[in-house]
Amino acid sequence: MDELEFRRILYADPNCTDAKILAAIASDPKKQQFCKELRQLDKKIQQATQIEIPADLVHKLMLRQTMESHKSSKIRNRIQLATAASIAFVIGVSFTMWQQSNLLDLSKQAIAHVRQEGGYALDAQENISLQQVNAKLATFGGEFSEDIGRVYYANFCDFENVRSLHMVLEGENGKVTVFVVPHSDTYLTEGSSSEKGYSSQAIDLKRASIIVVGEEGVNVNGIQERLNQKIHFSA
Amino acid sequence: MFSRKQSSQASVSSDMINKQKRYEVLVLALHSDIFRYAYWLVKNKAVAEDIVQETFLRAWKSLDSLKDEKAAKSWLITILRRENARRFERKQFDLVDIDDVSVIDEQLSNEIEIEHRELRTIMASLSEEYREPLMLQIVFGYSGDEIAQQLDLNKNTVMTRLFRARNQVKEALDKSNDNRGRKNG
Repeated sequence: MDELEFRRILYADPNCTDAKILAAIASDPKKQQFCKELRQLDKKIQQATQIEIPADLVHKLMLRQTMESHKSSKIRNRIQLATAASIAFVIGVSFTMWQQSNLLDLSKQAIAHVRQEGGYALDAQENISLQQVNAKLATFGGEFSEDIGRVYYANFCDFENVRSLHMVLEGENGKVTVFVVPHSDTYLTEGSSSEKGYSSQAIDLKRASIIVVGEEGVNVNGIQERLNQKIHFSA
Repeated sequence: MFSRKQSSQASVSSDMINKQKRYEVLVLALHSDIFRYAYWLVKNKAVAEDIVQETFLRAWKSLDSLKDEKAAKSWLITILRRENARRFERKQFDLVDIDDVSVIDEQLSNEIEIEHRELRTIMASLSEEYREPLMLQIVFGYSGDEIAQQLDLNKNTVMTRLFRARNQVKEALDKSNDNRGRKNG
């Protein structure tokens, strides 16, 4: 190996472990000196480049990272919260809609009640005084202020688990059934129906609903209006 | 269902703690080397600090991709070089504050301090393509192969650059010695 090649290799890597280079160094004191000088230079460069590290660098690096992970976890939390809120919202809305679609239609329920009961109440021939009716009506905080005609029947009954007043009154052409049902969330409190020979109308008043059921052809509207004018609820 | 959710949450947070620990160890073990590398890359303390911060932030974000802790140093250097290149995309700097760096060896004699200062000036005057492999070799103890891999260069190119780098350092040193000799003589 010539001198130039030797220097070239050692300049590129003073710690070269190539066998030929090591042999050349061992055999020549001049080369040994050259190699030693180069390694010293490396050491000096190494020392010279060891510039001081800013004292707070470690803390800055930790802080940046903490801020970053805090930021991203906050974003993640926000997304989770938003998702939870949306789900809760959708559940709430659909539950409300489901509930509404399942509301009991009072007017239909009243017809069913009358049909099922058959003649029990309709065939009654009592003559109940207004005081007696009002005494029962007082349970719901209501009162008829004027005479409402002949009352054939008036008693409490179970209207889909709600205690209600069941009356049979004399209508313009035949008997009509009147229910007074206190408010409940599960009712659709207003509306009218007619099915299987009956028609009914429900109307929502201050503290209760009044449902009038009559056979088809009976003017339930008229009776309804008449009752509405005469019934009063205490506040 | 709920208990399963809880345990998966617990493992997520223990993952986070593990990641946190790895990051802290990484910072403590390598921030000095990485800062010095950055400094000699850009020759400016403030810029070097910025780049190091960006580097470690990026390292934190992709810490999961670091599988082998032994590869951490070269992984960080790769990120750092990319960050540095990004900086050049944004803006071209020409900042040299090589004279106002203080070095740890303050207790050393005046003569050695002068010599070191001179070497730093020479190092700073080297072009980047020479300075970078030389730093990797001398300061980081990388072999020719490792430098070639880190800088994505051919090994022969690396060896040539190392040779030229030392040659330039030597020449610059001899020249200043001559000058000093002449002044003294």
